[in-house]
Amino acid sequence: MGRPLIHRSPMPGLGLSMGVTLTMLSLVVLLPIGALLWKGASFGLCNIWDTVNRERVWAALFLSFRLSFFAALFNLVFGVMLAWVLVRYRFPGRRILDAAVDLPFALPTAVAGIALTALYAPNGVFGSLAKELGWKIAYSQWGIFIALVFVGLPFVTRTVQPVIEEIEREVEEASATLGATRLYTLRRVILPMLAPAAMTGFALSLARAVGEYGSVIFIAGNIPLVTEIAPLLIVIQLEEFNYDAAASIGIAMLLISFALLLVINLIQVWSRRRIGYV
Amino acid sequence: MSDIAPIRFRSATEETPLARWALIGIAFAGLAVLVFAPLIAVFAEALVQGAWAAVKSLGNRDALSAIKLTLIITAIAVPLNAAFGIAAAWFITKFDFRGKAFLITLIDLPFSVSPVVAGLCIVLMFGSNSLLGGWLVAQGYHIVFALPGIVLATMFVTFPFVARELIPVMIEQGRAEEEAALTLGASGWRTFWTVTIPNIRWALLYGVLLCNARAMGEFGAVAVVSGKIRGQTATMPITIEMLYNEYLSVAAFSMAAVLALLALVTLLLKTLLEIRHADQLSAQRRH
Amino acid sequence: MHIQIDEISKQFGTTAALTPVSLSIPSGALVALLGPSGSGKTTLLRILGGLEFPSSGRVRFDGQDATNLTVQQRRAGFVFQSYALFRHMTVFDNIAYGLTARPRASRPQKAEIARRVTKLLELIQLPDIGGRFPSQLSGGQRQRVALARALAIEPRMLLLDEPFGALDAKVRKELRQGLRDIHDETGLTTIFVTHDQDEAMELADLVVVMSMGRIEQIGKPADIRARPATAFVREFIGA
Repeated sequence: MGRPLIHRSPMPGLGLSMGVTLTMLSLVVLLPIGALLWKGASFGLCNIWDTVNRERVWAALFLSFRLSFFAALFNLVFGVMLAWVLVRYRFPGRRILDAAVDLPFALPTAVAGIALTALYAPNGVFGSLAKELGWKIAYSQWGIFIALVFVGLPFVTRTVQPVIEEIEREVEEASATLGATRLYTLRRVILPMLAPAAMTGFALSLARAVGEYGSVIFIAGNIPLVTEIAPLLIVIQLEEFNYDAAASIGIAMLLISFALLLVINLIQVWSRRRIGYV
Repeated sequence: MSDIAPIRFRSATEETPLARWALIGIAFAGLAVLVFAPLIAVFAEALVQGAWAAVKSLGNRDALSAIKLTLIITAIAVPLNAAFGIAAAWFITKFDFRGKAFLITLIDLPFSVSPVVAGLCIVLMFGSNSLLGGWLVAQGYHIVFALPGIVLATMFVTFPFVARELIPVMIEQGRAEEEAALTLGASGWRTFWTVTIPNIRWALLYGVLLCNARAMGEFGAVAVVSGKIRGQTATMPITIEMLYNEYLSVAAFSMAAVLALLALVTLLLKTLLEIRHADQLSAQRRH
Repeated sequence: MHIQIDEISKQFGTTAALTPVSLSIPSGALVALLGPSGSGKTTLLRILGGLEFPSSGRVRFDGQDATNLTVQQRRAGFVFQSYALFRHMTVFDNIAYGLTARPRASRPQKAEIARRVTKLLELIQLPDIGGRFPSQLSGGQRQRVALARALAIEPRMLLLDEPFGALDAKVRKELRQGLRDIHDETGLTTIFVTHDQDEAMELADLVVVMSMGRIEQIGKPADIRARPATAFVREFIGA
């Protein structure tokens, strides 16, 4: 006897809740994604490869991934530090700082995009400062980097914060009684405990940045091969009604997302197996 | 002589005051540049020709139509996603079945799919050159480049928000209270309305708040499916893009300022919920 | 090492956790700090370990003022009630931690660290668990690993906070003898906190009964049992 598919339960509403859940999930998410995969399948693997295997597409995919990686890396370091400050220290303005971390979640990406452009364009507040130093931010890869840092900012902080809250004081005290300096405790005890959550946040931030569109296109300048991101290529193909090409690039990006999702899940499984918590 | 040295008080688990204030300083400086500066820039650019110019730019027909469209989309997409979130959370937390983890992964999927890819999926499914879309158009139903497509795209990107807030809270609360109500003779619906809903209402509000903020501001997915027809399928964020590209900076930033205000209200309500009702939100939100 | 506590008091805000207490602990003794919760016994232990600083008074180790020594400088082997093992490290790395944390100049060679850890694992009679993680150990095994980790730094004294508190009755009895053996073998001045009077009476050479931040009585177990100095002691021992 195998495990039953659904265990019997006295709870009411099985049919209704299951029906609503599966119907809506299929209609809104699964069928549209299926349509993309179907389009890809009918276009053929060889044709997809030929579409993706062009200099402009590779350049865009590589650019999106590389800048997203660096932005997520920045957010990893800054996010862990921010989480530490917000959980461990008490200072005036802490609540405001804590709320501000979520602004990139709440602020529409198009709004963020034009605001960042206004700041970093050559005539903007930060842009003119940078221009003095001979440094161009908006309409260069630096601009994309800053936009991606903005949209990915909350992920690491929000995944790491609850873990810091749960670190027992005694573990840090134990390290000190064994003769470790504060810095050594931080490096060998605290950071390794935060590592699984921080890596999850890093991967989430990376996944978000790779797919980001709204906040980037205003500040990027969108020059093919130089500052053109992968999602923009899809939009361009769609505007030319080139659905096969759009679907091909879309499938490539979907695969990257799935790979990242898999990595996140593996980190959590590994962390739970080894140390009994996520 | 060492006997009269004063006693020190720094605990073993604290950084030196210097390190502490340096970290706090970096946190403030970083958020000032990354978060506060763009926020201020939105309002500054909107008010660059005075408040009257900003308000006037919001009063024309296209702007009003964009605001109306965004409100309609949100009014459809958010309640539907909230209903889904409640149903999914109920199904996942009140029953034991195989493949539960997989189902949760599927629900979370939209978070890791690029909004542009989401829009693309909907275009490929309902566009006039697809099988289903072609048939629907022949029957006179337009999905892509029309309201239903925009609603679908919005629902796709905001799909997990409510379910994600409710599932951890309902797992923590367990099934005992519902079981008690059932043994006392309450019907299923009565149990749901009188026991479950009061326990999850703040988490539900929290999820709806986040869902709403994202739904009003969604750009990438909507840009792909809307067709950007002025006065018809241009939502607020799409209108911002069009105005910006036409160098109508004040108008673009004025509309952006409206959305930014909405974001601020969302954050304020969210913070209030975290302070007032921390015990009824998921553990992730209590800080 | 001889430990001298002179008029130590500790305030937490407006509440006094310790009203001035004085105590002299002879070198090599096995001492129990016995009392109900809130009696100040854990606070006193943490002050000795350098985890809290007293509001007034001095601590002397072998006659030298130690009040302002940092935790790191004290070299007190501290065993926490929850054991506070590092869950992301193996048992081996946990025990080696205090040695690897030393500055390079005084850090033993890798092989020497391994030799010492192996020896400690034998001392706690768990020679084969070096590669495991704390989550894979039983409660009693965790307690012994915590003890070994504290001993690895060649401490000047051993401080244990409710060392048997988280264990079931049977394991508790076994480990009592284990602690006695380790104390006798190392000859370390050992102080443990407990609220269990049986445990204190059976294990310790010297029992310090505390209540509400004061020391009620200091004496050998037999003396305390025969001649309780105050009504509180009589009631607490009788129970």
